Amino acid sequence: MTVNSTSPFTLEIIKNGLIVASEEMFYSWGRTAKSPVIYEVLDYAVGLIDAEGKNLVTQAPGIPGFTGVLDFAAGEVVEMWGDDIRAGDVFVSNVPYQSGTHLNDVTLIMPIFNGGRRLGFAVAKGHWSEVGGMHFGSWTSDSTEIYQEGIQFPCVKLYVGGEPNRSIVEMIRYNSRMPDFVLGDMYAQVASLKVAGRRVNWLVDKYGLETVLDAMDRLLEDGEKYARLKMRDLPKGTFTAEDWIDDDGITDDPIPVKVEVKITDDEFLVDFTGSGKQAAGSINSAYPSTVSGVRETYMAMIDPYTHPNGGFFAPLKIIAPEGTVFNPQRPAPTSTFWEGMSHAADIVWKALAHVSPERLSAGHFLSIEATILGGVDDRTGTPFAIVEPQPGGWGAGYDMDGESALVACGDGETYIASSEVYERRTPILVERYALNTGDGTGHGTHRGGFGAVRNYRLLCSEASFTVSAGRSKFPCWGVDGGMKGTPNYAVVYRQGEDPMRVLKVAALKVRKGDVVSLVTGGGGGWGDPLKRDPELVLGDVVNGYVTAEVAREVYGVEINKETMEIDAKATRDLRRRL
Amino acid sequence: MDSSYRVGIDIGGAFTDLVAYDSTTKDLRWVKVESTPRELSMGVVDCIKRSGIAQPEMEQIIHGQTVVINTIIERKGVNVGLLTTRGHRDVLEIQRANRRDMYNFKYKKPESIVPRHLRIEVDERIMADGTVLKEISGEQVEEASKRLVEKGVDAICVSFLNSYVNPENERKAGEIIRSRHNVPVVLSHEVTREWREYERFSTAALNAYVLPILDRYLSRLQSSLTKDPRKCMAMTSDGGMVSFDFARRFPIYTVESGPVAGVIGALGVAEAVGEKDIIALDGGSTTTKASLVEGLNPEVTTEYYVERDRFRPGFPVMVPVVRTVEIGNGGTSIAWIDEVGRVRVGPKAAGADPGPVCYGKGGDQPTLTDAYVVTGMLNPDYLLGGELPIHRDLAVKAINGVAAELDTSLEEAAEGIIKLANENAAYAIDLVSVQRGYDPRDFTLIAYGGSGPMFAPFIAEELEIGKIVVPVIPPGVFSAWGMLNTDVRHNSIHTHITRLDAPDALETLSRIYKDLEDEVTGMFRSEGGESPTAIERYADIRYYGQEHTVKVYVPSGALSAPDLQTILESFHATHEREYEFKLPGDPAEIVNFHVVGIRRVQKLSLGELPEPSGSQDPLLTDRSVYINGGYEELPVYDRTLLTVGFSLEGPAILEDPTATIIVLTGQKASVDRFGNTVIRSVVR
Repeated sequence: MTVNSTSPFTLEIIKNGLIVASEEMFYSWGRTAKSPVIYEVLDYAVGLIDAEGKNLVTQAPGIPGFTGVLDFAAGEVVEMWGDDIRAGDVFVSNVPYQSGTHLNDVTLIMPIFNGGRRLGFAVAKGHWSEVGGMHFGSWTSDSTEIYQEGIQFPCVKLYVGGEPNRSIVEMIRYNSRMPDFVLGDMYAQVASLKVAGRRVNWLVDKYGLETVLDAMDRLLEDGEKYARLKMRDLPKGTFTAEDWIDDDGITDDPIPVKVEVKITDDEFLVDFTGSGKQAAGSINSAYPSTVSGVRETYMAMIDPYTHPNGGFFAPLKIIAPEGTVFNPQRPAPTSTFWEGMSHAADIVWKALAHVSPERLSAGHFLSIEATILGGVDDRTGTPFAIVEPQPGGWGAGYDMDGESALVACGDGETYIASSEVYERRTPILVERYALNTGDGTGHGTHRGGFGAVRNYRLLCSEASFTVSAGRSKFPCWGVDGGMKGTPNYAVVYRQGEDPMRVLKVAALKVRKGDVVSLVTGGGGGWGDPLKRDPELVLGDVVNGYVTAEVAREVYGVEINKETMEIDAKATRDLRRRL
Repeated sequence: MDSSYRVGIDIGGAFTDLVAYDSTTKDLRWVKVESTPRELSMGVVDCIKRSGIAQPEMEQIIHGQTVVINTIIERKGVNVGLLTTRGHRDVLEIQRANRRDMYNFKYKKPESIVPRHLRIEVDERIMADGTVLKEISGEQVEEASKRLVEKGVDAICVSFLNSYVNPENERKAGEIIRSRHNVPVVLSHEVTREWREYERFSTAALNAYVLPILDRYLSRLQSSLTKDPRKCMAMTSDGGMVSFDFARRFPIYTVESGPVAGVIGALGVAEAVGEKDIIALDGGSTTTKASLVEGLNPEVTTEYYVERDRFRPGFPVMVPVVRTVEIGNGGTSIAWIDEVGRVRVGPKAAGADPGPVCYGKGGDQPTLTDAYVVTGMLNPDYLLGGELPIHRDLAVKAINGVAAELDTSLEEAAEGIIKLANENAAYAIDLVSVQRGYDPRDFTLIAYGGSGPMFAPFIAEELEIGKIVVPVIPPGVFSAWGMLNTDVRHNSIHTHITRLDAPDALETLSRIYKDLEDEVTGMFRSEGGESPTAIERYADIRYYGQEHTVKVYVPSGALSAPDLQTILESFHATHEREYEFKLPGDPAEIVNFHVVGIRRVQKLSLGELPEPSGSQDPLLTDRSVYINGGYEELPVYDRTLLTVGFSLEGPAILEDPTATIIVLTGQKASVDRFGNTVIRSVVR
């Protein structure tokens, strides 16, 4: 423990100031970026790392999928550059195996100095719209090597002495299909690092160097103390789970995922040993992504509302053997890493849901079901593209039904676009955007939420459709007798042809009048459906969430369709029989 | 002599405030009574009774209420049925599918106020360009509305896709339902003509949800106030007022009427003292609200949400609202020690009941007010001019609890709590200024509300703001006073994507603005025949391909080519201020056209108030106050007795019945010719 004479109030004010530094950085980049993927989708995260490049001090992530991949990047800088880290430097890095996720997510790291002393690093990581590679937009579901996925930045100096390093900037310009947007976002990203640097230095000027460093230590100490305190309430023991990833998009073989979680008084050990080998397709989750995925679930379990930092994550240890889907090695492709990463979050969640019911629900639809529908509207000559995640069903809790139509766990404050905006901007008619009650959900004493169906009819001559739907062959899990959820998939209705059900396709042609239907599944149920309160079943029938037939066959509740009332006697008999 | 009072009445959570002014006799009165939550109109009637103003003496009544917002927050609205486009039944339930509470794996969205069985689809379809793909089926509308009425709905909402472009199908459906059923019918395009179906459907559904309730409330109130309905005006969220009749049809327009009235009041003060750029700071008992106004023109936005905070998405309400931010930091914010032994202040607050510990009304958690009492910054004997006795011993006991846990002295703990709270309040200012590209040092802080004047000098010191004005109007009834400064306002906002570089841009702009102006003039006409005295035009513009829009002022009258250039230049400049970059070579497009019609009302000028007389010595006493880590003897003045020209250097304390001002070292307080207290930082 640090001994200090600074007032506890001053330390609190500085701690808040360091949190605000991250928040200001977050707003700054969001406000000044040129690409909607930053300012609308919030596909970025920022934070402060301590002087050794080890610990996250404060962070502001736009999506939970970026919970704490920032510390890896600062660590990489310290390891590679050692004494050659100077004021005015900014490093650029995106290699998944060392510090990254996929090549589109580019991290910039700036050391913060006061006098000659390094106080820490400001780090900003976010999705660059275009970094080259085999397809427009760089990420794709059909790559088999990282070299197809874009340009790699192996932690090099983007700025030297406060000035852009022209050699690197020109490399970026020549390797991106959208250099203006990418460089615009990049300069905004650098500016946000400077915002954090200024705020930290302002704190130093006001309260003194030692006091600020003291407050940083204090933040980490408090974070760790808090996590350990909260760990007292966690169930102790060893918990395991197994599951499958549908496939890697290249072959049809399912990939096993396996975890052993060991919770003791002071350690939260997650061991993925036994999970499948790194995949031929792009679904691999590099180690930093795997850590991020696990941290999501760890935070959800321990406290979803805390300001996490390196101290808070200190009890968490993660083992993922090299060469597996959770720790792939060069040249494994990672451009749809979220497919693997979300399974890292999910399998830990699955191992623990039944022992941590206050915080964890049954499984949810999980797949982001990333969708691209785009081309050139030949009626006006305007290019258009819809790039979006799909919302789906979340799992039930021991005390609640699951929520319907929400973005998956890797996404957070992510807004699904308005149908009216799409129809105004693109040659697409949104014929249907509704809950997917047709496929049902994970029934249970508490049932899972419903997925969604969104039908796009193409109004121009031609467009290209890409989708990556996971959790289709192996729908999400229920708990304690609750049923599993329903699959995610897409259906292409081509005129004059039979409907075509697809899971992972790249650049499929669709023509005028064709309909593309994106379908997501319902979440897992919790508890035996026969124990569901008949009144709730009746409510579900009245509201059209489930049919009277499902009420009878799955829930053992007989409902008179004329009067919309429960037949109590028939229900008793039925439930005895089922 | 006949008197004619204009009366502003503001219902808040705890108190109902009245400010009345007679411009002939220059009589200004104010009354504060406890609110009567069960039957709010009783509190209003009681307020008027206590003011001593008789019915015939009232020339105009301007009313801001919390009926609408509370009905929504408490989920006490009526049963609403929805008719919507086939394929889009679940818009209100899917919402935008975002998970604002992103680490909560058991997150639930706010539940749709229209349950699924009351949402019925009908065949009809409008395309994005306004063409009718499918005509509405009258039979289906009849059938569906009949079913809804049989299910016992109290209001029917009709929300169709793309009705913002072409409302024909909604209108036809409305006619059919109105001709057959005696329930209120709300058509989404009548409430807002902006795109984004979830936001528009939500706004319309909430309007229906509160409509019968506000209708009943306003009818009852009106009948007890006056026989002349034209005298009754309702405050709206855009800082204007409309007739009770209009508010009955569009109750959702009044959702934020109370807080906004304070901003309008602050503008009245700013205008009088010759300031154009202000930050209005409203320090309440549980929250602090801030609003930044540039050039005396409050920023009106339709990006507003009910019940939104850091972890809750709330319901979107796409109606014009003066932009304000609110944070959970007020006079009764609770100081607490977290699990790892660190001190925090707020966002939990003791509120009016039980209140701070020192009120002796059963509160047992240390609050900010208790900390102020312990330091001596707040009067340790009484508040509210003597009406509220203070128990300093209880405050000491409460703050001692904090001190013991932190191992500090009592006074250190009290001052520390105050510093933390001021840091929180400064953050609210940061949100409206720095984070939107403004430098707070370019603004004057106008502070009101029970705790605003207390926070303001600390915030000014922290953010290096040079000037604070604490209005002469008692800070505790300031919002009601603001109501006397509002104009009659009507808005028309239409989404109509228009590229500014299109060859026919000029004609398109002229045509749309004329349509909107006709619409606004029509609203005034329906209000009793008077026309607006001013028309203002705005446009929400963005770069082609971008999402962010910025609001730009558009010249009135016939538009010419140079006007287009002016609009463009002003767009580039505003965009650069808000987003740090501009793209002068890129095409720009208008997303929303916005016209405001204003009928100016004779305002209460501060200069008309009688000057404070200087017959009594304003110096009350010297008080020992703990400040900057030690005790100092501070002079304490009665602010109501300070005369024009008075000035002093801090540290000092100024008290009046509803608020206390702490003038800090390095600050100078003076009284301007209106009686306002002006605090400036002294350059050393």
